[in-house]
Amino acid sequence: MDELYLDNIDEYVNDQDKIVTYKWLSLTLGVHVNTAKQMLFHYLDHRRKESSAQLHATYLVSGKCVDNGQASHKVSVIKEDKLEDFKSKMSLIVSVHVYSVQKALLKDSGPLYSVDYDAVKDNMKNCSKYSAIRCAGAVPVSSVEQTRAIQRAPSPEPENKRSAVNGSAHPAPKPSTKPQKGIMGMFASKTSSKNQDDGKDVKSEQKEEAPVDDAPKSKPAVKANPMMNFFGSQAAKKPEKTVKQEEAPPSSSSVEQKRPQPEEEQQQQQQQAAVVKPKPKDTQKESRSKTKRVEESDSEDDKMDKKKRRRIKKPVSDSSDEDVIPDSPQQMETREPSPSPKKEIKAVSHSRQRDAEMKTRKRRRVLKSRTFLDEEGCMVTEKGYESESYSETEDDFQAAKPAPKHPVPAKRPASKPDEKKSQKKNSANANKGSKQASIMGFFQKK
Amino acid sequence: MTTLTRQDLNFGQVVADILCEFLEVAIHLILYVREVYPSGIFQKRKKYNVPVQMSCHPELNQYIQDTLHCVKPLIEKNDAEKVVVVIMDKEHHPVERFVFEMSQPPLLSISSDTLLSHVEQLLRAFILKISVCDAVLNNNPPGCSFSVLVHTRDAATRNMEKVQVIKDFPWIVADEQEAHMQEPRLIPLKTMTSDIVKMQLYVEERAQKT
Repeated sequence: MDELYLDNIDEYVNDQDKIVTYKWLSLTLGVHVNTAKQMLFHYLDHRRKESSAQLHATYLVSGKCVDNGQASHKVSVIKEDKLEDFKSKMSLIVSVHVYSVQKALLKDSGPLYSVDYDAVKDNMKNCSKYSAIRCAGAVPVSSVEQTRAIQRAPSPEPENKRSAVNGSAHPAPKPSTKPQKGIMGMFASKTSSKNQDDGKDVKSEQKEEAPVDDAPKSKPAVKANPMMNFFGSQAAKKPEKTVKQEEAPPSSSSVEQKRPQPEEEQQQQQQQAAVVKPKPKDTQKESRSKTKRVEESDSEDDKMDKKKRRRIKKPVSDSSDEDVIPDSPQQMETREPSPSPKKEIKAVSHSRQRDAEMKTRKRRRVLKSRTFLDEEGCMVTEKGYESESYSETEDDFQAAKPAPKHPVPAKRPASKPDEKKSQKKNSANANKGSKQASIMGFFQKK
Repeated sequence: MTTLTRQDLNFGQVVADILCEFLEVAIHLILYVREVYPSGIFQKRKKYNVPVQMSCHPELNQYIQDTLHCVKPLIEKNDAEKVVVVIMDKEHHPVERFVFEMSQPPLLSISSDTLLSHVEQLLRAFILKISVCDAVLNNNPPGCSFSVLVHTRDAATRNMEKVQVIKDFPWIVADEQEAHMQEPRLIPLKTMTSDIVKMQLYVEERAQKT
């Protein structure tokens, strides 16, 4: 082997203060990765024998280990001082080699990724030229297939990446997506439409991932891919938590090509496990609250429709809302009184109203308004209803005038004892309601 | 694609935005690498497609954001000559100074086709360099604090004193003590030249730190 490489590496490490990873070295010098690994090893050996140079190295250790009774194949990048410790924990060591050599003691594994990023990006098409991973069946897919694949797997990663790139300390875009996400499909279709701007970056990364994914990776890749899919499905529901972990999986998935996984992978696994547990609970809760929403939204992939529907429904919902809230003290049997499941009630009333025709909606408002007329405390609210239901008519003035006359503070304490009375009087009110309807009808004709 | 000239209102703002974002990430990274604050408050985030360490502490983040918010108008007008992150020891004597010298070309029409990805690549290199600056710097004594100084051209600061950009966040003229360091050692870290900005990062380090 040419001895010049020692000088080359020396120059990179000492003069330029670079972090020299084996992958970067192989791409820079144009040698096979295994050769690069050996070069680094020789260099390290050489320098350490020569002088006590301040050199630090990281190693890639891959092997089998038994974790809580589960055997798994682990690939980790380890700092030199923890190498022996880590090796002793593994039951079977498949390979150990130098991952990088640098002068500075690295505090975390971030820079290792950055080092290779540009080198790989520049050699995108032949980044595996010097790689030891080979598969005859791995051929680049046609562009048509690629676009299909991108649409099929519309990972929320691009969305998270975009929001991460826009403002590294800005979780602002995520809360806006949270209330909008109802169903995974909705979320997915929305992200695909938002993909336009950083489509290039994302597509290039996905291209990078797609052909590499095809290649038969070593076992850790198989293990990581289900995790990746897991994150893909999780991310819709928990964008905040998965931001941190999404960075790790995209970085780990693209780092996958070079096989190493950071030593924090163990912690990530634990984090993922922790995220898994609260996840099923959340889905149950969310599904419960969402079933009613699903009722009102038939088959909505288009959120705009949903928004539009909500807007249209707002005048309706206002009245129905107020219908519901003052109704509740009276009609405890018919409806749940608690204001907190307002939304559910709203949704239920929505669904009922939507089922019915426009005419029945108006009728409903009238019905509700009747009940409160004769009660002292309920008079106020009753007027409110009338005004709402007859928003199109001129009765708003007449309805609003008598309202301030009645004592407002007396409303609440009065309404509670009135609950029981009002329940009994429901039937009585219904009779009166018919009269009132006729009166209202009289007003409406005006 | 679209060409922007210096006269374009957007141009100055775009450049200022890019630089302020970069400075925010750089300041967080400096605090992490130089161990000004315990590493527990830092969290891995992504910027320019690489992992960086950002702090989670709300007050610290707010302080850095407010600082850069005030610096932004200076950068827009190309008045900021240097932005310096000073690390001081317990007695408030500067121990290290990370100097970001920047200048923008006066009149340049650029095409934004590959510009932003090129700039991103250069900024990525800066961040990588900050991550490994440990190698060339001595360790800091414990209990350090930091502050941000801005050197401006001409008398641009007079405007800053008159108009408080952020309420209750005044900028004051720096003390001699903070601005100058005894026996500084100069260590250049990185230089970049691009169509929109020329930036240099170097570190001035005090010969004896403890």
